[in-house]
Amino acid sequence: MALFPKVGREQPSLRLPYWLVVTFLCLGVLLHLFPFYYMLVLSVTPARETLSTTPVLWPQEPTGAAWRLVFDVVTRSSTNQQARDLMPHPMSVYLINSLVMAFGTLALSLPITSLAAYANSKLQQGRGARWWFLFFIGTLMVPMAVTLIPSFLLTRNFPFPLPQPPNIPGTNTPFPVIRIWDTPWAVIIPGVFNAFNFLLFKGFFDTIPNSIIQAARVDGGSEFNIFRRIVFPMSVPVYAVAAWLQFGAVWDSYLWPLVVFQSPEKIPTSVAIANLMNRFIQAGTTTPEQAYARNEAMREIMEAGLSWNGLMVLGLLQTIPIFIMFIICREYLLRGIRLRGLK
Amino acid sequence: MAQEEIVSTGRFEEEPRAQAGAAPRELSRRSRVERWLFLTPAIVFQLVWGWYPLMVAFVLSFTNARVRGPVSFTGLESYVRIWNDPLVAQAFRVTFAYAGLSIALTFVIPILVAILLMEMPQRAMRWMMLLWFLPLSGIASTILWRYVYNAQYGLMQYIVTSLGLPPQRFLNDPNQVLFWLIFPGILLFGPGLIYMAALQSIPASYYEAAEIEGAGFWRKIWTISLPRLRPIISMMLTFAIIGSLQEFYWPQIMTGGGPGAASRTVVMYMYQLWSRLRFADSTALAIYLFAVILVITIVYRRFFKEDPDA
Repeated sequence: MALFPKVGREQPSLRLPYWLVVTFLCLGVLLHLFPFYYMLVLSVTPARETLSTTPVLWPQEPTGAAWRLVFDVVTRSSTNQQARDLMPHPMSVYLINSLVMAFGTLALSLPITSLAAYANSKLQQGRGARWWFLFFIGTLMVPMAVTLIPSFLLTRNFPFPLPQPPNIPGTNTPFPVIRIWDTPWAVIIPGVFNAFNFLLFKGFFDTIPNSIIQAARVDGGSEFNIFRRIVFPMSVPVYAVAAWLQFGAVWDSYLWPLVVFQSPEKIPTSVAIANLMNRFIQAGTTTPEQAYARNEAMREIMEAGLSWNGLMVLGLLQTIPIFIMFIICREYLLRGIRLRGLK
Repeated sequence: MAQEEIVSTGRFEEEPRAQAGAAPRELSRRSRVERWLFLTPAIVFQLVWGWYPLMVAFVLSFTNARVRGPVSFTGLESYVRIWNDPLVAQAFRVTFAYAGLSIALTFVIPILVAILLMEMPQRAMRWMMLLWFLPLSGIASTILWRYVYNAQYGLMQYIVTSLGLPPQRFLNDPNQVLFWLIFPGILLFGPGLIYMAALQSIPASYYEAAEIEGAGFWRKIWTISLPRLRPIISMMLTFAIIGSLQEFYWPQIMTGGGPGAASRTVVMYMYQLWSRLRFADSTALAIYLFAVILVITIVYRRFFKEDPDA
């Protein structure tokens, strides 16, 4: 409570602003949480109600039909053939793909990026350090669309960014190439060095006074030990933030996995859900007129949830892992920050 | 600083802010070897997946490359074509409008929220930190907001009509589409956590000292909280500028370019060129955009007089 004066805090002239602040903050929270609430509500609303012109803040007949439908579709346990066709593989396959990609990237990226940032911050000096810094973050200012095609071609015919590898001069055989296209590595490898996280780490390491490192050096021990025993424990919040950001980025990434995967069983959940959403919208209904102009099997699905409520369920499914990761990382963030003692 | 616990985020107020390049001149041989061990993997990856594709793209802009077929150098043809393309000028207008609006509306609020949140008692603060910054998946957001903005049965339409205004077309209205695209961003307070982490490190005694000097509420914010936040604000603003000028996903999925081309940003136009296989043009446009971003960033840095190595 540092902004409000200590003396006279109970006086009415100060209580009012304080409670205004509290009100403002609570309203803000409600506004922020409203989308979540709305999605939850919509997911248990029968399809017809979602299409009515008066908005639904609480459904008149809450129904779990949409959840059941989506659950059937994603586990492929529905008896309805049309429902089965909507998603070729059970969700668990896609989930595992996403998890492998996300954690694979994190496992490689955090150590490599943070150690390089530490070296740039503490082990390099002068103009050399500055040039290396630019080398590492220079690519941040370039939009992803620029490097999309060359990167894509590289995943096919590494190290040649060409559709076909050239022939070894003098012979007819093409160069041997490494192909990481259509494997999880195509998502992991380009993500290993994360320039943004590098910036984050370097900014943080810069605030650690050199005297601490110097003292540790006097005591002997390798740089790595210094990092491990002294710097790392105090950097936990930064690692939490970096891990969280990167997880979110990989989990939600759509364009790159779309471009890089061809086999349908290898796509991550973000692409799978987006596809499902498109199929829902095409096959199903988002207008009242279409809702009743389909064949029987589809009608059954639609009655159940092939409308906005089903889509909301899908959206929630996509978000839940991000929630979980956020909560986990928040714990580490808070653990590293001791709230200052207030008198 | 005797009384309060010193925060363990690593920010030590009493020490002078360490500068990059203050490492000792004589590092032992072993330390130098370790330094290169630390750096090398990152260098390799950044070189191969960061700079190499960039170089390739740069070269590509001087050719007439297609997916298959012969490739030949065409020099600056693509650059000239892009320069003369009126759709490009329009895309830049849209992009600047979008970036400006986005920063004006969504940048300041998280800062304010973080400052105010610090006033709450600790128990409340933990919950607030969770609830305020709860993230929503991007894909989920698109689903939700497309529903909300639907002209027939969306929530927005209901609110607008019950306020007595005529029904709007929201995303289908070329004059309003940018505003409606940015509106959901106002409700997300993402970067607030970073500001809060920084604010944690300000000792309470600073505020008390200011209070003794007679500083009021706003003055304390202005003279203590904000200066401490200044490097972070500066950094986040840089990112916001660079990021919003490159906006692609959100407008692409929500409107696909908007009615006509009212919400087609530069990167979206690049994507269109790319999907029509005009790779060289697309890359030339990217380089123009990059140049613009670079200029804006440099001007901004000068204006803010930041550390030379930040």
